[in-house]
Amino acid sequence: MSKPEYVEIVEKVFDKTRSKPTKEFKYIGKEILRWDAISKIRGEKIFVADLINLFKNPVFVYSVRTKYAHARIKKIDVSEAEKYPGVIRVLTYKDIPGINDVGYVIPDQPLLADKKVRYIGDTVALVIAESLENARDAGELVNVEYEPLEVILDPLKIVEWGGLREKEHTLIHDERGSDVVSRYKIRAGDIKKAEQEAAVVIENEYRTPMQEHAYIETEAAIAIPEPNGGVTIYAKTQCPFDTRRAVAQVLGLPFSMVRVIAPSLGGGFGGAEDVGNEIAAKAALAALVTKRPAVVLFTREESIIGHAKRHPMIARYKHMAARDGALLGVEAEIILDTGAYASLGPFVGWRAIVHSTGPYRVKNAKIDLAVVYTNKVYAGAFRGFGNPQVSFAVERQMDLLAEELGIDPVEIRLKNALRNGDRTVHGQLLDHGVGLVEAIQKAVEAANWYEKRKLYANQKGLLRRGIGIAVMYHGNSIGAEGADFSSATIIIQRDGSIIFRTGLTDFGQGAIQGIVNIIAETLGVPPTYIKVEWPDTAATPDAGPTVASRSTVMGGNAALVAAYRLRQRLNRLASELLGCDPEKIVIDAPDVYCSDDPENKITWQELVEQSFWKGVPLQEFGYFRAPPAEWDEETGQGAPYMHYTFGAIISDVELDMETGVVRVKEAVTAYDIGRLINKTGADLHAIGGYIQGMGYAIMEDLYYSPDGKVYNVSLSTYHVPTALDIPEKITPIWVEAGFRRGPYGAKGLGEPSIVAIAPSIANAVANALGGRVEVSKDVNKIPLTPDYIYSIIKKHKLLRK
Amino acid sequence: MVETIRVNLKVNGKQYVLDIPPDERLIDTLRYRLGFTSIKEGCGRGECGSCIVLVNGLPRHSCLTLTATLDGAEILTVEGLAPEGKLHAIQVAFLETRGVQCGFCTPAFMLLTKALLDKTLDPSDEEIKQWLASAICRCGSYHYYFKAVRKAAEYLKKGKILFDEKEVRKNLYKLPLLR
Repeated sequence: MSKPEYVEIVEKVFDKTRSKPTKEFKYIGKEILRWDAISKIRGEKIFVADLINLFKNPVFVYSVRTKYAHARIKKIDVSEAEKYPGVIRVLTYKDIPGINDVGYVIPDQPLLADKKVRYIGDTVALVIAESLENARDAGELVNVEYEPLEVILDPLKIVEWGGLREKEHTLIHDERGSDVVSRYKIRAGDIKKAEQEAAVVIENEYRTPMQEHAYIETEAAIAIPEPNGGVTIYAKTQCPFDTRRAVAQVLGLPFSMVRVIAPSLGGGFGGAEDVGNEIAAKAALAALVTKRPAVVLFTREESIIGHAKRHPMIARYKHMAARDGALLGVEAEIILDTGAYASLGPFVGWRAIVHSTGPYRVKNAKIDLAVVYTNKVYAGAFRGFGNPQVSFAVERQMDLLAEELGIDPVEIRLKNALRNGDRTVHGQLLDHGVGLVEAIQKAVEAANWYEKRKLYANQKGLLRRGIGIAVMYHGNSIGAEGADFSSATIIIQRDGSIIFRTGLTDFGQGAIQGIVNIIAETLGVPPTYIKVEWPDTAATPDAGPTVASRSTVMGGNAALVAAYRLRQRLNRLASELLGCDPEKIVIDAPDVYCSDDPENKITWQELVEQSFWKGVPLQEFGYFRAPPAEWDEETGQGAPYMHYTFGAIISDVELDMETGVVRVKEAVTAYDIGRLINKTGADLHAIGGYIQGMGYAIMEDLYYSPDGKVYNVSLSTYHVPTALDIPEKITPIWVEAGFRRGPYGAKGLGEPSIVAIAPSIANAVANALGGRVEVSKDVNKIPLTPDYIYSIIKKHKLLRK
Repeated sequence: MVETIRVNLKVNGKQYVLDIPPDERLIDTLRYRLGFTSIKEGCGRGECGSCIVLVNGLPRHSCLTLTATLDGAEILTVEGLAPEGKLHAIQVAFLETRGVQCGFCTPAFMLLTKALLDKTLDPSDEEIKQWLASAICRCGSYHYYFKAVRKAAEYLKKGKILFDEKEVRKNLYKLPLLR
């Protein structure tokens, strides 16, 4: 089968620029101010809730939520609520014209609860009123008769160790007949033999928390009824095309009648993925019922109890190594708690198992993973998507092995790290673009690793320092989760300005600016010529979801293909106008000339104007599809992702032995992102990802009462890092090992930037605690809160004078 | 009918006379009555700091403030930092230090900077941290915002308060603009 033209373009551009240092590019890898920065510092109306004033006479929609985390619904009575002043309608599941489901991967999540409620955020009715106050007050009058059921919060009540078999328990999803959402496994080599041959075996159990995205913009959607029964929705959503599918399904409308527009998002981090569908569907329902603009606005409390979280993990790992530190095998059982609904849980579980042995040469592995339901808030997509959880366990294990063997943590990682020509645990050949060793070496040098490691040995004081390393890899884009494609449209306007249309959303991450840089470099025009349109299902092409660290690679490839074709056409026309070979045309807008005759110029505008008169089309559509991923369900063998981003993180912490308080003083992050496309965005991401990962490591978790209510539903009880909590310095370092099927060799950075932060901090804390294996083994869960760390200090009498 | 209260407010230099319900929050007056949407609601409980505005020069959570208590007050939001076509030194500093990501919290951080720099043009590192700790940036741009405060202080010390927006764009991008 011949290669598609779009793949050829991407590979051709890579081959041509492979040896060109990033500093020699004009726009790629430069510190270019992001396209929307000025509108943001002017405080312009770019977020959903800012637009409310633009619509006359809106209605407000309030979600009445359950009082029980697990109960059967006997009866819902809305008659009292409907009589409340200002109330227009109160809707229940009976009023849904289409299919009552917003489940992302499997249809397990009703928009409005019908037979059961399964977590404290389930919506039982929607009150539509003239004001949000009226709607909320009326919500108190919705009368639901429940039959409370046993609330299950511990995933170990669903499955048991030693095979992860499902136990006898009160079913949460009776309709499915099982509370195990999905299972995955890896079977590689001969694990029994590996164990027999091992000089050391390290076994330990790990736990990670339910992290909340805490994006500062809470959920918001505005729906406007359109002629012929259609609807337009402005919604906070990362994936407008997925949102359209969900809304169309709930309303029973064809996709063409539902238009979803995603303005700027005030943070997403994965969390604005499926809740975007829910809020859009609620607003759309109300707009169609009332024939008026309908507004859904979540309070912080609703946001915390009402959107997907990071899956908590419980895992048991067994690592086997030879005397020299070579990894012989990894055995593990991993349980991911997806809460009340699957959401993206099946995909999170899959990404977790793919990455479950870390970026190492592992020939023998036996891993089992189960994603299970509980009555917690549902868990779904959160930056890292299963990888931060398993990476925490794997990277703690590597340090324990190093301690047991008396090897430096850096050395054991270098010994086992994946290199060019190695195969992953899944048997995937990595024939190029593996920059892990370089990342480790650069991070070690920048962090002064060896000196500090020596300096921090044998400390006695009340304030002790520790330094730790963790490494990671992260598959780019969605891999075997589904059809992996992207598309983009570039339209050069007659005055020379350029409109760029993509269905990918911008929630601050900087990928869109990266794509702008790619277009600018390819066309030879400054990024300032390019205007980015808001993602709009009626106008921008479907670029696939804005998830999985795929925007720069997949969206960038699609844009590269479109820009490349435009550039070819413009080169041909310019060669006619200037009288030289098309290959020799230099576009450095506003100047266009032949490379051997720079004095003889025409302007970019002239070239565009000539294109108009000479019939050279100035619009182009670009498409890119990733090579289909391979995955054998029985063995976990194949090629799960097209390529991987690699990284090494070093954290330097201070530990207060009297209080257990951990403070990160300094950190170095080194990522191999193939090619640095957007320097500003990449630096911000490395630092911002570190800070969010530090929150995950030392302060963030959701706490539940035994009956399934969330205790910390505000930002004064759910703590995220503030200006007073951050390290003094975080140093980002870039490794550019290239990737032949990435735009100019680029790989993704969105999720990788959080994956190995927590283990690097935990490893540093274990180092500060003295690094003895029996103490270190207790540093096996995050967050590393003061009470937890203090309990370790006390248990092992580490403060005895 | 809810009784209303007459309140005189000066917002971004312009005088308003408003008849408002006594329980109306300042954030709602500003965002929905007057259209100053740079102020954001992130929690409604004075925790995230996104709703911070300057009331008589000092930072205040507009979500915890009743407009009716502010008769005669002067209020500043980001829309009032600079007139049309101009940018304030603080805005320029925030652009130049390139910390803007999702941008939802940025207006609050700029107003915190304004209040701090009105107090002193030589804030210590500790002071900057303390002031900026009143708001949360989940994207994690804090280090960039610290730099922005110092940069803004430099400009203001030199008496550079307002910048021409076109000039700023030109200097920032160091790239040709189409118009």
